[in-house]
Amino acid sequence: MKQYFQMIKAPRFRLVHDEHRPLSDGPAPRRIRLNREGFSIVPGIRKKTLVCPGMLLAEYPTLDKGDLHAPIYGTITEINARSIFVDAADPAAAEPGAFPEPPAPADLLQEGTEGEALVQAVKRLGVNTRSLGRRIRTLIVNALNPEPGVCWAEPMLSEHADVIQAGLQLLRRFGRAEELLLAVPRGAKVSFPGVTTVEVEPMYPNSVNELLIREVTGEEAPPDVAAVGLHNVWSLGRVGTTGLPLMETVITIGTAASWANTIVKNGSLVGELLEFANVSLKSGDTLLRGGPLRGESLDRLDRSITKGSYGFFVVNAGEVPPIEGDSPCINCGACIQACPTRIDPRMLSRHAEFGKYDTPRRENFRLCVDCGLCGYVCIARRPVLQYIRLAIKKLEAEERLARLTPIEPAGKA
Amino acid sequence: MSNPGNSDILLAISTPPFWHCGRTIPKHSLHTLLALAPAALLSILQWGVPAVRVMALAVLTALVTEAVCQTLMKRKLTQDNGTAAITGLLLAFLLPASAPWWLVALGSACAIGIGRMAFGGYGANQVSATLVGWALIFVSFPAFMDPTSSLLQTSLFDPLLRIKYFGSAAAADLSLTDLLLGRQLGGLGAAQSGALLLGGLYLVLRGVVRWEIPLAFLLGVLAAASALHLMNGALYAGPLVHLASGSTVLAAFFLATEDSCSPHRRIPMLCYGLIGGVLVMLIRTFGIYTDGAPFAVMLINLLAPLFTLIRSRPFGARPGWKNKAAAEQRRTEA
Repeated sequence: MKQYFQMIKAPRFRLVHDEHRPLSDGPAPRRIRLNREGFSIVPGIRKKTLVCPGMLLAEYPTLDKGDLHAPIYGTITEINARSIFVDAADPAAAEPGAFPEPPAPADLLQEGTEGEALVQAVKRLGVNTRSLGRRIRTLIVNALNPEPGVCWAEPMLSEHADVIQAGLQLLRRFGRAEELLLAVPRGAKVSFPGVTTVEVEPMYPNSVNELLIREVTGEEAPPDVAAVGLHNVWSLGRVGTTGLPLMETVITIGTAASWANTIVKNGSLVGELLEFANVSLKSGDTLLRGGPLRGESLDRLDRSITKGSYGFFVVNAGEVPPIEGDSPCINCGACIQACPTRIDPRMLSRHAEFGKYDTPRRENFRLCVDCGLCGYVCIARRPVLQYIRLAIKKLEAEERLARLTPIEPAGKA
Repeated sequence: MSNPGNSDILLAISTPPFWHCGRTIPKHSLHTLLALAPAALLSILQWGVPAVRVMALAVLTALVTEAVCQTLMKRKLTQDNGTAAITGLLLAFLLPASAPWWLVALGSACAIGIGRMAFGGYGANQVSATLVGWALIFVSFPAFMDPTSSLLQTSLFDPLLRIKYFGSAAAADLSLTDLLLGRQLGGLGAAQSGALLLGGLYLVLRGVVRWEIPLAFLLGVLAAASALHLMNGALYAGPLVHLASGSTVLAAFFLATEDSCSPHRRIPMLCYGLIGGVLVMLIRTFGIYTDGAPFAVMLINLLAPLFTLIRSRPFGARPGWKNKAAAEQRRTEA
């Protein structure tokens, strides 16, 4: 009964799991697939190059992403437009000197660099610094699990407090925010020196940054406040404590029956992770990267988990009612009632469905925080969130085009 | 492939969210039918085979009409989701047990054909499909639709009719318990107000029906009836009589709450229900019809787009946002 009456306050949306097993190391990969879109490959890196952990493979031109490093000993087998493939190799079996020496740890915590210099150093060590906050008055570290089903936040805060501590220290030295707040689930007894702790109700969608800011400040979209995920702070702290480039990501590997938190190498193939977690698949199952509400489904077992991914889930066939083609909206209004930012996903999705991308502009589509609740409650099983994402993408492309200045034909003047 | 044992597996590709609340249209229909079941059973106990005949005919005609329309429209057949059956059953609930077969079939066929499919199918109609069918036959064949004139072999009477023409004292010997147990003359199921109330509460608790609408609707009836009763107690009956008679409860929980015809945000829903309730009393008191509930629901259905104009403040908008947004609009247009 409860599940029906209080759709959103369903127990599965509680973001606290009393999970306190330390994060364990994932499998040693046999093969790695790294995403290189937008990266420029470093000179000397080509097919058949032998690589070692921490070796720089590609650089990203802006601060949007960290540079790309090899996470294991191995041989590059293929470089294409999207990916770099590395096959694992045993350095002990190879003749001495065949593999390059791994880089020496850089002690960022002791070095004392600050501000933009530190940001650049961290970016070179593979951390995405863009999402660690722009220049702002208050920066809130979002220490809630980002989505239902994901459960690494608690062990990170307790069992891996040293890593988070290092991350927070580096974050403060970035000098981007005047004030640093840590938003933790209500009742969690967590404190870090120099950081004010704020307790928030650990119920999805409060973990979505925009809504977390409202929970913490009591204001909707206040200026000069931004939020950063604990996952990023952990990555930062990992670089700070090991001194090595970031070569791994923390994910929750979850099925309907069990879950575990694992530190996996950047680029691990999902097929190997399934083997590691002892999960067998049937046809019709869905594999998803990210969380159950906002993630993306994978079509093949040789897709990989890359830096920044925070979850990997298997949803078995039959666990949820299937989406049946182009089911029309029946105007039930469940999405309108579920939407935390009070937009009208019903109309947005219908406009997008019929290609009328202009109307969403009037419907405040930009306020969508991508929480996925509209699709969660849709009784017609429409891909509501996907329609909204489509509309946003189309409109952004249109606006980009509109900003371009037309080129005058040469020789006219 | 790194996992050769799994290479023949076909993964399902889908869009987020990958979890779902589990609620689907067929399940909603099932709950609604469950909620209607007590009233249907009581009605069958009261009227016997004629009641079964009307309900079965209405449901069957609704299903067949929907199937025919969907075939003509080259759509997928969706009789299994149960929504057409509900429309048919609700129509039967408004008819007397004596309704001739052609009346039932005509009403049900029009409800689905004109009320629903002409607008594009389930969930696209602006006015409750059931009521479109009902209004058509009610206005065209009033004599057949009137239980008082067509059901002669019964000692039951229609309290609203008596109140209308003989004042509130005429229905004084009918207790509230009698009304709730369906010992009154009215539509087949509509008269079973107690059973419908139970079913309605079940739907509200299940979350199939949004509680704001029935609550506001009943409050509207209560408030308007109380006001009239206080003005002239001899002429106008008390609020509880009005709540439990006619099709007030059916309208509040099952007709006014039809998803596509009602607003979806809280304040609009409350206004919608409240005005519906008041309209029921206005039609009953000052109109020519004894039971104003179905017409009141049709009227608020038509008003629903207006209530929807009561918008909520956009997330993060601060006072003066309208001016700012308007200024921005002008800038982009310039």
